[in-house]
Amino acid sequence: MLVVRDLVKKYGDFLAVDHLNMEVERGQIFGFIGPNGAGKTTTMKIIATLLAPTSGRVVVDGIDVFKDPIKAREKIGYMPDFFGVYDNLKVKEYLDFYGSAYGIEYRERRKIAEDLLELVDLSDKKDAYVDTLSRGMKQRLCLARCLIHNPELLILDEPASGMDPRARAEIKAILKELKRMGKTILISSHILPEVAEICDSVGIIDRGKLVVQGSVEQIIQRMTGRTVVRIRVLRDMDRAISLLKEQPMVTSVIQEDQELEVACKGSDEDLWQLLRALVSSDVPVVSFRKMEGNLEQIFMEVTSDEEMAL
Amino acid sequence: MKRWLYNPVLASSLKTRMRGWRTAAAVTAYLGVMLFIAYIFFKISVENGVMYYLSFSSSRSAGLRVYLMLAVLQFALILLVTPAQTAGVISSEREMQTLDLLLCTKMSPLSIIIGKLLSSLAFILLLIISSIPLFSLVFLFGGIAPEDVAMLFLFYIITAFAVGSIGIFYSALFKRTVVSTVVTYITIFFLGIVSVVLGAYMMSVHYSQVPSPTDHYIPFILYINPAVGLGDLLARQAGDPTTNVYYGILGLFFGVSRSLGSPQGWFQKLPLWIGNSAVISGIAVLLLCASAWVIRPYKRLRCKS
Repeated sequence: MLVVRDLVKKYGDFLAVDHLNMEVERGQIFGFIGPNGAGKTTTMKIIATLLAPTSGRVVVDGIDVFKDPIKAREKIGYMPDFFGVYDNLKVKEYLDFYGSAYGIEYRERRKIAEDLLELVDLSDKKDAYVDTLSRGMKQRLCLARCLIHNPELLILDEPASGMDPRARAEIKAILKELKRMGKTILISSHILPEVAEICDSVGIIDRGKLVVQGSVEQIIQRMTGRTVVRIRVLRDMDRAISLLKEQPMVTSVIQEDQELEVACKGSDEDLWQLLRALVSSDVPVVSFRKMEGNLEQIFMEVTSDEEMAL
Repeated sequence: MKRWLYNPVLASSLKTRMRGWRTAAAVTAYLGVMLFIAYIFFKISVENGVMYYLSFSSSRSAGLRVYLMLAVLQFALILLVTPAQTAGVISSEREMQTLDLLLCTKMSPLSIIIGKLLSSLAFILLLIISSIPLFSLVFLFGGIAPEDVAMLFLFYIITAFAVGSIGIFYSALFKRTVVSTVVTYITIFFLGIVSVVLGAYMMSVHYSQVPSPTDHYIPFILYINPAVGLGDLLARQAGDPTTNVYYGILGLFFGVSRSLGSPQGWFQKLPLWIGNSAVISGIAVLLLCASAWVIRPYKRLRCKS
């Protein structure tokens, strides 16, 4: 759905985006993660046809955005990190205005606006003035705005920044619903764990470079070189520990009450072998959970090492 | 409305501008200022014996004086109000962080610029229309026909279009509304003064070099100043160039020159105010295109794919 090739953006001598390459599959949620000033917003603005790159290529659904930006805009819904709203405009008029700016006929855009307000749970606010809405409501309204022309790719620049936990949860729920509807979503954040749970894959950008890209699990495994599983056994704890230590893929076993935290190398296939070894030895396993790594720590490691690239 | 005629920026602005008390208050204040100055002028004229109603000719003269005063007053107010209406339309979108949202729609930068200009001009048009009752007072005295007023109003709209495009251009060029507003006023003031001074100088040089001039010379620089066009229009409407106020003031430039022989070239054969309207409209169109170019988000030439 989205292909970025060798994208470069320079401001004088400052390299904001440094030969960035990435791909997002159709229907995926891609988390674009990086510290402040890493080049996320610049990259997103370039993809949204709002900024010209110094060099490189961006293709959205087969359309080269630099060759045909008008056509590309039909495919893209863009929500900036900071945005304002007009005074004196009601919620339904706000959506109607942007609908007309996308060339949608009056009756059609009225219907779309009603559906979108329902999607973002603002139907009861349709006659309220936009500038009276809370920040969370404005964010949801802006999300509805970027959906008004039914784009296939959504570019959301820190959509949950500055929001309280409840509003964040609402945004996440809407994003999950949009994924279910088949939308491809590129979402940025400077906090990896914040978006990890809803993203199919993430890319970590630092100083204009995409230093790592893949699913959250893949990134954890690549960065730490291990997978952690928590195993709960009903009894025979000592036998379970000695059996686990015999396995070649296991690097460490730590006992915590009735649970064991096992660090191992290898893929999911190796985990399955591990579980099979326990079960075939009649160890009463009641729980076998693959743990997520410490995303915060990985993010800090990745963004502090300029040369780290996979 | 046909789709190619429909401008979302204009439609939205027309809908929301009349909400609340601001627009009504602005129109009231505008008319209040005009009425107040007209009343003072009228009162002083009557008290000084300049105006009296004993004969047809004196009534006509009184009507003409009131008309000229109102016309110049309205012109000055338009020059004052139009930059305030236009010099912030794009920069305020930047300040409110709504410009990007507009630019990533299917609207072209030029249609955004045109929508913004027309919505500002719509307000100026409202002010002009609301002043019609005041202007109609002139008809009580006689001397001015309704078509004269219509022509004057047309010239106002052209002037507002030209002045508005300067405001829009600076608004697109500068990020801050305060800067664009100040620079717009300075530009208008500078153009108004410089064009007249330079025009007068060029004319004096021209006629000093010709001992007995027979040609009709108007420096092109005078065509960029709408005040000169207004002077010509009012002078034509007032009739006798030797007795009316305008030739007394502006006759130094074109009044004298017109009395010298016949004009050369098709452009100079046009009435000065029409030539002036054409020139300032042309400049306005260029400025609007430049504004659209400035806000254009994607400048193809810069990208090396």
